Amino acid sequence: MMGTSVMTMMAQEQQTEVLMPGERPKPTKYVAVEEQKEHLVFFQGFTLSVDGYGPVAMMVSDYGTLEGALRLNLKNTYFPIIEAGVGKCSKDDFNTKVSYKTSAPFMRIGIDFNMLRDKFQSNRLYLGARYGISMFKYDIAGPAQTDPIWGGSQPFSVKDLDCTSHWAELVFGVEVKIFRNFHMGWAVRYKREIASTKSDFAKPNCIPGYGYTTDSSCWGGTYSLIFDLNWGLKKSHKRGVNVEIRTIETTDNGQRTTDSVPARENLQPTTIQENGTEERQEK
Amino acid sequence: MTMGILVMATLLAGCYSNNCPLENTVTCNYGFYDTEGTAIYYSDTITVTTLMPGYKTVYTYRKLGNKTVTKDDPDAELVNQGYTESVTQQRKDTILLNQLLGASSMKVPMSFFNEEDTLILSYKSILLKDTIKIRHSSYPNVELPECGTYRFHTLQSVTATDAAIDHVEISEPKVNYDGNVNVKIYFNGVAVDN
Repeated sequence: MMGTSVMTMMAQEQQTEVLMPGERPKPTKYVAVEEQKEHLVFFQGFTLSVDGYGPVAMMVSDYGTLEGALRLNLKNTYFPIIEAGVGKCSKDDFNTKVSYKTSAPFMRIGIDFNMLRDKFQSNRLYLGARYGISMFKYDIAGPAQTDPIWGGSQPFSVKDLDCTSHWAELVFGVEVKIFRNFHMGWAVRYKREIASTKSDFAKPNCIPGYGYTTDSSCWGGTYSLIFDLNWGLKKSHKRGVNVEIRTIETTDNGQRTTDSVPARENLQPTTIQENGTEERQEK
Repeated sequence: MTMGILVMATLLAGCYSNNCPLENTVTCNYGFYDTEGTAIYYSDTITVTTLMPGYKTVYTYRKLGNKTVTKDDPDAELVNQGYTESVTQQRKDTILLNQLLGASSMKVPMSFFNEEDTLILSYKSILLKDTIKIRHSSYPNVELPECGTYRFHTLQSVTATDAAIDHVEISEPKVNYDGNVNVKIYFNGVAVDN
């Protein structure tokens, strides 16, 4: 009796299908329909990444970095990120015999935005911005300076010049899923120096995490190895979507009603009580 | 991955360009003004010499009714002509700027390791000379390693005699390759509009 009243109310409130003349009502059964809805769980977990390009650059050129990043995934759309690492530069100019050396940590914070329309897929095309800072000391040395008119000579070597540099970056990159939680991706970065501490002796030729200061702006890049971490994620959230289970129930008077519950409720059909509350039936 | 690294290496290579300063020497810039502070073109010919460390022997030859001759080496021929030779010790000097004419400014190098430079200004139209003394500190500077090293200076004080100069003042103490006027020389007299 109670079941009939419940079904009547459901028939009024929900999608109703009327049987055609001569069509017999089918026995009641539960049919699970999995359907992706246009709704993403807000918190999608963390990713940890390391850069593969910086170490290679360090081995084959004057400047390189060792860096990693911790990134937050919000709705597969927004990715707040913290990047940290160590930058090393050791340059000796062949013509002028002037050498520049620094090795120091740096940090960047920022956010990436996934530009792909389909947020459910594991691949990403993103645009981002960063603010970077590095506090470092650098050494500079060169051949002895000789006065061409008055005469005299003095060696030139200055050590531990203090500098704090700030810069901004625009990031464009792609990221593809390789295997399970492992992704790879590359990014190009347009960097612009905002400010650096000035020294009377020399301006910093290379800033850890930024690169060379030959110009007021510079290009850089990263090749990231990315690992998805599932810290703080519920099991059913790992796929990144809410799966909806729709149950179809046929009533005695030949009407079919539908209702839905999220998948994490273990495929249990839901009925609505007279007081409007939901009650899940145990199998 | 290799392709990505190659692309990035190409992009990074694009960062390098030669942004070295156009000036390859650092000079102290002196601007010329009249007594009232109007920028002028100084019509007289100016020769600037500076005193060097150490002394030199100077041979001076005088003869009544003839111009006095000064030489760094003895000249027996002048003695044979009746000149009287006198030998003196003088501070070594060198010419920094030779016969500058009708200029509104002059660029003069500074010593790397001396605390004070002495400039002697000789004029063509007057016999008297002016002496400018500049106290300064110097330090090495590197703009970029590929540009080499420079020597910058910071002016501390400047004084001058008053043969043709009214007074001098420091307008920009930092002497570098920016090209600003570092010292203003106010000559006697007031510029007249033609």
